[in-house]
Amino acid sequence: MSEAAEELLLIQRCFADLVLEPGAEAFEADPATFAADRGLGPLHQEAFHRFKDRLLFYRDSVRGALWEPMDRYLPLLQAILEEAEAWEDCQAAFLATRTVASPFYRDVAPTFLGWLAASGWGQDRWPYLLQLAHFELVKELVEHALPGETPAGLQPVPGPRARVVLAAPTQVLAYTFRVHEATFEHPEPEPGPCHLLASRGSDGYVRWRVLTEATAALLVRGQEAPIDEVMEALGLEDLPATLAFLEDLQALGAILGFQ
Amino acid sequence: MKREPITGVGLGLRRPHVEQVALAEPGVPFWELAPENLMGDGGREAELTRAIVARTPVVSHGLSLSVGGFDPFEANYLDQLGAFLLASGSPWHSEHLCFSTIDGATTHELLPLPFTRASARHTAARARELKHRLPVPFLLENVTYYSELGAKEMEEAQFITEVLEGADVGWLLDVNNVYVNSLNFGFDPFAWFEGMPLHRVAQLHVAGHDRFGDLVVDTHGATVVPPVVELMRFVLSRIGRPVPVLLERDNAIPPLAQLLAERAALQEAYDLALAAHV
Repeated sequence: MSEAAEELLLIQRCFADLVLEPGAEAFEADPATFAADRGLGPLHQEAFHRFKDRLLFYRDSVRGALWEPMDRYLPLLQAILEEAEAWEDCQAAFLATRTVASPFYRDVAPTFLGWLAASGWGQDRWPYLLQLAHFELVKELVEHALPGETPAGLQPVPGPRARVVLAAPTQVLAYTFRVHEATFEHPEPEPGPCHLLASRGSDGYVRWRVLTEATAALLVRGQEAPIDEVMEALGLEDLPATLAFLEDLQALGAILGFQ
Repeated sequence: MKREPITGVGLGLRRPHVEQVALAEPGVPFWELAPENLMGDGGREAELTRAIVARTPVVSHGLSLSVGGFDPFEANYLDQLGAFLLASGSPWHSEHLCFSTIDGATTHELLPLPFTRASARHTAARARELKHRLPVPFLLENVTYYSELGAKEMEEAQFITEVLEGADVGWLLDVNNVYVNSLNFGFDPFAWFEGMPLHRVAQLHVAGHDRFGDLVVDTHGATVVPPVVELMRFVLSRIGRPVPVLLERDNAIPPLAQLLAERAALQEAYDLALAAHV
């Protein structure tokens, strides 16, 4: 890389530091020193000083753009963390990691979820945080999932020896907090097992169903082994009722068919 | 996919209007959409959007290639984009003259480039690469900038010209961006066009903006103001070709009927400008 190109890269990196670092105090105190500390010469230092307020406008703009999906899709998480005056800390910690890499804006919120899982941020104080964030985001993920390929030889009606083929958007979910019962009045979910099915109907809307532990296991394990074998392993005895339940899910669009 | 040349005043296809447009085509000559919002997306809105794309002329306007940045272009992403461009029949793909990613991190924001010779050379080389790697012609759009980034060696107009000429690519001329920049940096927007490579213009953008204190921001959240319409007419008469104009609206999105009325008024101004040229 030429010297001129290296200088150009330094300018861009300096700007990235300004917009993504958790605090702007160093820049606000002395933009020229901020630039100098990042290897920029006097002329560039003077420009950073001269455009101080306008550069700070970009800081707000970038941070707003990167955080907007969390404002939109995670309202309960936001309510809890705002109440604890920790929403902005969460934002700062996430943005400082610079983990948003996808060119697709829709990937920002899932990236945040991945960061929350990997970092464990806040989960010593709010142990349900990751599960609640996941639950809040699932609706968007199911709504926008690609339909996937339809396997050959799929049957619309299940038989005892068939395997379950879920529709690509369908999610069988298991949480240790009752996240589906959280509300704005009581956003903190109570501890307790919770099994949910999120699926997309032919009208495009997401539908939720509360499952028992056994039916959730049936849907997961029934993709790998015949229904009757899974039933036996799970201690389920009513084959007609189970097949009717699966047929019902097929009609809802949660199950693509049976193989 | 071969289609008639795109002309007239089009609209950006936005989520709140997709259902309505899918049900009944409202007589818009073309739609503009961001491929990033459709590529890899599923569900009802995406399917409706694909149906609109299949039956109506569209132009593709990207947000995330970071043309002036340093991160290498992802082959997989360019392949997906290329497939979208061919399937949609878009006559070109446009991107912003800015950078948005650095060291693998994306900001999802249009960040200004330094107005230096090295920056112009670097950006032109990257735009040239994109021109060769995409299956349709590549355009660059002049952006609003609220601050110079680092010490400048030239004015914005010269920077844009050097990049366009150096890359030998077309120009998506955003008239509102020129106007907003003229307010923020105090220059005459009409005089700004002197010496600009108008022969490269393939499309125009117009949009609304908002004032926040002493800063005017390209929000795409308001009606296009008369001075921008006047500037659009001026540019069209200078160009003398029926290049398509796109009305952008991304924030405070009004009902479709209101946007259609604004589009119709712009179409009238567009027709008058081109008639006057003849």
